[in-house]
Amino acid sequence: MLVYGTVAIYYVMFVNILYFAIMGLSFRSIGTIARRAKYSSYQTLSGSELVPSVSLLVPAYNEELTIIENVYCLMTLNYPTYEVIVINDGSSDDTLSVLIKEFKLEKMHNPEIRGTIETQNVRGIYHNPDYPHLFIIDKENGGKADSLNAGINFSHYPLISSIDADSLLEKDALIRMARMYMENPEETVAIGGDVRIANGCLIENGAVKRVSLPRKIWPMFQSIEYLKAFLGGRIGWSRMNGLIIVSGAFGLFRKDYVIAVGGYRGGYPGEDMNIIIKLHRYMLSHKIPYKVAFCPEAVCWTQAPDTYKIISNQRMRWGRGNLKNMIENRGMFLNPKYKVMGLITVPYNVLFETLNPYFRITGLLALAGYTFLDMTHWRILLTFMLLNFLSGYLLSVGAVILEEIAFRRYKKLSDLWKMLLFSALKFVGYHQLGVLWRVQGHIQYLRKNNSWGTMTRQSWKEESETASTA
Amino acid sequence: MPESLTLERKQQEGLYHNLEERLNKTFPELCGVMFLYCPGPPQLESLVSEFLRQETGSDIEVLKDASTSTLAVLLPGSTLNQAHYQALLLKRHLEETVPEADPRITLTVFPGQVDPTPGVLKQMAESARLGPSADIHIFTKEEAASEPGRILIVDNDDTIREFLTIRLNMQGYETLEALDGTSALELIEKWEPDLVLTELNLYGIDGLPFINQIQKLPVENTPKIVVLTEQRVERTISQCFQHGVDDYITKPFSPVELDARIHRCFQ
Amino acid sequence: MFSHLFVAYVFIYVCLGLIGLGIMLLVQMKISHNREQQRREYYEQKHHDYFVYVQAHLGDDAELKLPPGKLKPLERSVIQDKFIEWIEQFKGDYRNRLIRLCREAGFVEADLKALGSFRYGRRLAAAYRLGGMRAEEAVPGLLKMLKKGKYNSISIIIARSIAKAANRPEDLLDMLRSLLSHGKPIHHLAADILLETGLDAGSILLKLLDDPDPALVKVGLVAMWGQAVPEVMPVLGRLVGAKEKDVRAEAVKLYLSTNPALKDETIVQLMTDRDWEVRAEAAKALGQLHAAGSIPLLVKALQDASWKVRHNSAESLAALGEAGFEALCQAAVTGTGIQREAALHRIGLVMEAEQKHGAIEQMVAYNKKRLIHDRYFGVKQPVKRMTGVAAVGGDYTA
Repeated sequence: MLVYGTVAIYYVMFVNILYFAIMGLSFRSIGTIARRAKYSSYQTLSGSELVPSVSLLVPAYNEELTIIENVYCLMTLNYPTYEVIVINDGSSDDTLSVLIKEFKLEKMHNPEIRGTIETQNVRGIYHNPDYPHLFIIDKENGGKADSLNAGINFSHYPLISSIDADSLLEKDALIRMARMYMENPEETVAIGGDVRIANGCLIENGAVKRVSLPRKIWPMFQSIEYLKAFLGGRIGWSRMNGLIIVSGAFGLFRKDYVIAVGGYRGGYPGEDMNIIIKLHRYMLSHKIPYKVAFCPEAVCWTQAPDTYKIISNQRMRWGRGNLKNMIENRGMFLNPKYKVMGLITVPYNVLFETLNPYFRITGLLALAGYTFLDMTHWRILLTFMLLNFLSGYLLSVGAVILEEIAFRRYKKLSDLWKMLLFSALKFVGYHQLGVLWRVQGHIQYLRKNNSWGTMTRQSWKEESETASTA
Repeated sequence: MPESLTLERKQQEGLYHNLEERLNKTFPELCGVMFLYCPGPPQLESLVSEFLRQETGSDIEVLKDASTSTLAVLLPGSTLNQAHYQALLLKRHLEETVPEADPRITLTVFPGQVDPTPGVLKQMAESARLGPSADIHIFTKEEAASEPGRILIVDNDDTIREFLTIRLNMQGYETLEALDGTSALELIEKWEPDLVLTELNLYGIDGLPFINQIQKLPVENTPKIVVLTEQRVERTISQCFQHGVDDYITKPFSPVELDARIHRCFQ
Repeated sequence: MFSHLFVAYVFIYVCLGLIGLGIMLLVQMKISHNREQQRREYYEQKHHDYFVYVQAHLGDDAELKLPPGKLKPLERSVIQDKFIEWIEQFKGDYRNRLIRLCREAGFVEADLKALGSFRYGRRLAAAYRLGGMRAEEAVPGLLKMLKKGKYNSISIIIARSIAKAANRPEDLLDMLRSLLSHGKPIHHLAADILLETGLDAGSILLKLLDDPDPALVKVGLVAMWGQAVPEVMPVLGRLVGAKEKDVRAEAVKLYLSTNPALKDETIVQLMTDRDWEVRAEAAKALGQLHAAGSIPLLVKALQDASWKVRHNSAESLAALGEAGFEALCQAAVTGTGIQREAALHRIGLVMEAEQKHGAIEQMVAYNKKRLIHDRYFGVKQPVKRMTGVAAVGGDYTA
C-alpha cells in the first residue's frame, strides 16, 4: 500500500511538472502575444477586400431567450465580408418563430445547397434581403454536429467559424482571428479563440460593456478553470502544434479541410475535440505541413452554468466525450507517425486527463489507508494533499499572471484578491467534484448512456440587471 | 410606435401648419403671436385665455402644443407694442397667481420682420421653451435667418466624434452625438436632424439595417445620410447606395472633402 | 522511502516560494498598471483644452503651437498617442500638419533614440510609434529590424510601420521582398500592408508588376482589387500568359473585370484553361460580353467539374437573352446529372426573379422566357427545386 502511495506521489509530481512545462511554453509566448495584441492595427484590415470571407455557423437548440441578442451581436462584428447562418436544430420552443418575427424573415424558394455531407432533413431556409448576411436554416433535430454539417453544406465562403448560440463575440474577435490566419494562410487549418465567462458582466447592445467577475460561486470557479486551461494550457500546446481541442464556442476552420475529414462527427458529445483530432490525423497522414493555432486575444464571452445539476451534466458530458475520443484514437498513442500529437498530446491526455481521477483517488485511498494503519505516518498523507493543493494553486497563479501581462480584462485590485481566493477554495470541494463528474461521465460511457441534459438559459437581460445593480 | 404617439405627432405637425393658415387667412392684417412656456400649472390654457380676454376684450385664441406644453397665443389686431405690453401683464399675473411659476415668452407680430412659416413658428416656440433668460424675448429677423443645419453624429469612436463635433460646430451646424444605433434612432425621432453622419460599424445594430430603419422613421423630413466608415468592400458600398444613402466616405478621410460633401447635401 | 518524501518536501517548498513570488509580482503589476491608467486619464483631462485647440485650428494655415508647460514623460506619451490617432484617421493636409507638429514637439527624435534601446519591448514600441508618425528617417533602422528577426506577427507590425513611413518606393519594395522571402503565401496581408503607404499607388504597382520575383507580382495583382488603376492594364495582358498559376488566375480576373473586347480564340483558350478559377472568371465575363460563339461554350461548361464554373456559366446563359435562356432550358431537358441540375437551378431563379419586376420591358422579357420555359417543361409542371447532391469536388470558395 505504501509503495502504491509513493507511486501516486510521484505521479502527482510528474503530472504537475508537465503542466508547468506547458505553462512555461505559454510564458515564453506571452510576450509576443501581448505585443501583437497591443501593436497590431486592424483599421485597414477590418474594412478591406483582401480579408478572407467567413461563414459563422450558430447551431441553436431551444435558445429562444438568448438567440436574438446573440444574432445582433454577431451581425455587428467589425469585419468586412461575412455571413451569419443560424441553424435551428428542430427546437421544441419558439426559437425559430422568435427569429422570424424579429428580423421579418421569409422562406427562400430556391436556396442553393452546395454541400455534400449527410445531415438530417432540412425543412427550409429563411432570409430577408434587408439583412443580406443573415440566414436561418430550419432542420429536424440531429444534434450540434449535425447542425454544423448542415450549415457547412449551405455556407458560401471558404472559412467557417463554429459559434455557440450563447456566445457573445467581442467586436474585434473575428478580425483578430482572421489576421492570424492571414499570416499563414496555406498552413493554418484551424484557430481556436479564448472563451471567458460572462456571468456577472454588464451586457448591453449585444456586447460586454463592463467586465467583472461572476458573483455566484459556480461560475466563479469556472472562470478560474477557464483561465488556467486557455491561457496556461492552450497557448503552450499550440506552440508545439499539439493542440487537441478548439472550443466549439468559438473556432475558425478551413472549410475544405473540414469537408475532407468528413465534417463533424455526430451522435456523441466531444465533437469539438474530435474534429481537431481528425484534422491532425488527416494532415499528418497526408504529410501536409499544417498548424492548429490558438488566438488568445480573440475573446468570446459565454454563459456558464450556475447550478449543480447543469454543471454536473456538462462535465459528465465532457467526460464521456473525452473517453470516447481517446478510445477511438488509441491508434495514435505513442505512435511516432503522428509526431507531437502521437508522442505527447494523446498520451498526456490519456494518462493525465482521462485516467487522472483514478490515479489520484486510488493514491489518496492508499495513503489514507496507510495512515489509518499507523497514525505516525500522517505526514505522508499531508504531503500528498499539500502537493496537490500547492501545485494546482501555483498553476492558477501562473494563469493569472499571464492574464495580467497580456490582457488585463479584470481591472480592479479586488478582482485579483477574489481570483486568488477562489483558486484556493477550489480545492475544498470543487476540484474533487470535478473528479467525481469525470468518473461519472466515464461510467455513462460504459453504460452507453447518451442523454444530453438541458442547459436552461438565463436571458442576457437578467444577468445584466443583476450586474448593473452590483 | 404606439398609435397614440403617432397621432400626437401628426397633431403637433398640424399645429404649426394650422397656425400659419390662421395667420395668413383669418388674420392677414395684423396679428401678434406670443409663445408661452410655463411648466407647472394645470389648465394653463384657460388661465391665460381668461386673463387676456379680460384685459383686451378682443377675441384671443390660445392653441396648445401638447408634446412640448408650449402655448401659442394669437392676438389679432395687436401691434408689437401692444402685444409686448400684454405679455408683460400676463407674465406678472402668472408670477403672482401661480406659485413658483417661471413663464418664458417669445413674441412677434405678423406681418413684420419675419414670415409666419411653420419653421419660423416652431423656432419661436422652441426659443420660448429653451431660452436661457427669463426676459420677454422679441423674435427678430436675424434669428429666423440663421436656421442652422442639424447634424447627428453616430460613431462609437470618441476621438472621431469629438473632432467632428468641434469642426461642424465651428462651421455653424448644430450637432448632437450618439454612440450606437438604438440611441441614434431615438434622437433622430426626437431632434429631427437634417443630416445623419454615421459609421457602419456600430454596436447593437448593423449599418445597413440601421439605414433602413432611419428611412422608416415617422419624421417629417427623412434626414440625409452620409456614411463615414472604414469599410471599403465594394459590395457594401453599393448596397449602401442601393438603400438610399446620400454619400459614402471611407476612413482615413480628408476633413476638407467631408465638409464639401456635407455642404452639398444641404443644398 | 523517506528519501522520496524528501523529494516531495523540496517540491512543496519550491511551490510555496514560487507562489509567494508570483502573488507579490501580481499585486505589484496590478497596482502599477492601474496607477498608470489613472495618470493617463488625468493627463488626458488636463490637456483636453489643448486638444480642442488643435482640432479646431488644424484647418488653419497658421502654425500650431506646441503643448504648453513642462511635460512629464507620461504626459508626452499621452499627447503623442492622441496625435498618432489623428494621423491615422485623417488624410491630406491635416495629416501633414500633425506630422509636422509631432516633429516640432520632439517626439520623432525621442523615438528614434528609443529604436536603439537595449530592451526589445522599447524598440518595438518605438517602431510602432515611428510608423504612426510617418517618420521617414526611421525606415533604415526599421528595415534592419525587419530583416534581423525571424518571421512572426511582430514582423508584420514592423513591416506596416515601414509602409507608413517610407517615402521612397525602393524601401517599400525592399520591405516586401524581405517579408515574402520566408516563403509564406501572405500576399493578401502584404498587399494590405502595402496599401498603407502615402506614396502614389499607381507607380508602385507598376514597379511590382514588372518585378522578376513572382511573389511581388502576385502582391501587386492582389493589391489592385477594388482600385481602378488604368496605367496597369497593358501589363495585365502580358501576365495572363504567366506561368505561375496564382498569378495567372488573378491577372485574368482583373483583366476580365474591366470588360475588354476579347478575341474568339482568347475566349476559347480561357474557357478551356486548366485552372478552374480562370474558367470560372471567363464564364462570368461572357455574360457581359455578348460575343457570338459564347452560348455553345457556356453550355459545354455546364458540365464542368468545378461547381463555380457551372454556376457562372448558367448565370451567363440566363443573361444572354432568349437565345441563352433557350439553350439553358434545352440543357435542362436533354442533359443529365450536373449539367441538368445547374441549368434547372438557374431557370428556377430566373423565373422567380422575373415575377417580381413591374416595368413593362421586363414583363415582356419575362413573358417571352415564360413561353420558352413552357414549351420545354409543359404548362402545368412547376420548376422543381433540386437541393440534391453536387458532384464530387464541389466548390470551396464563394
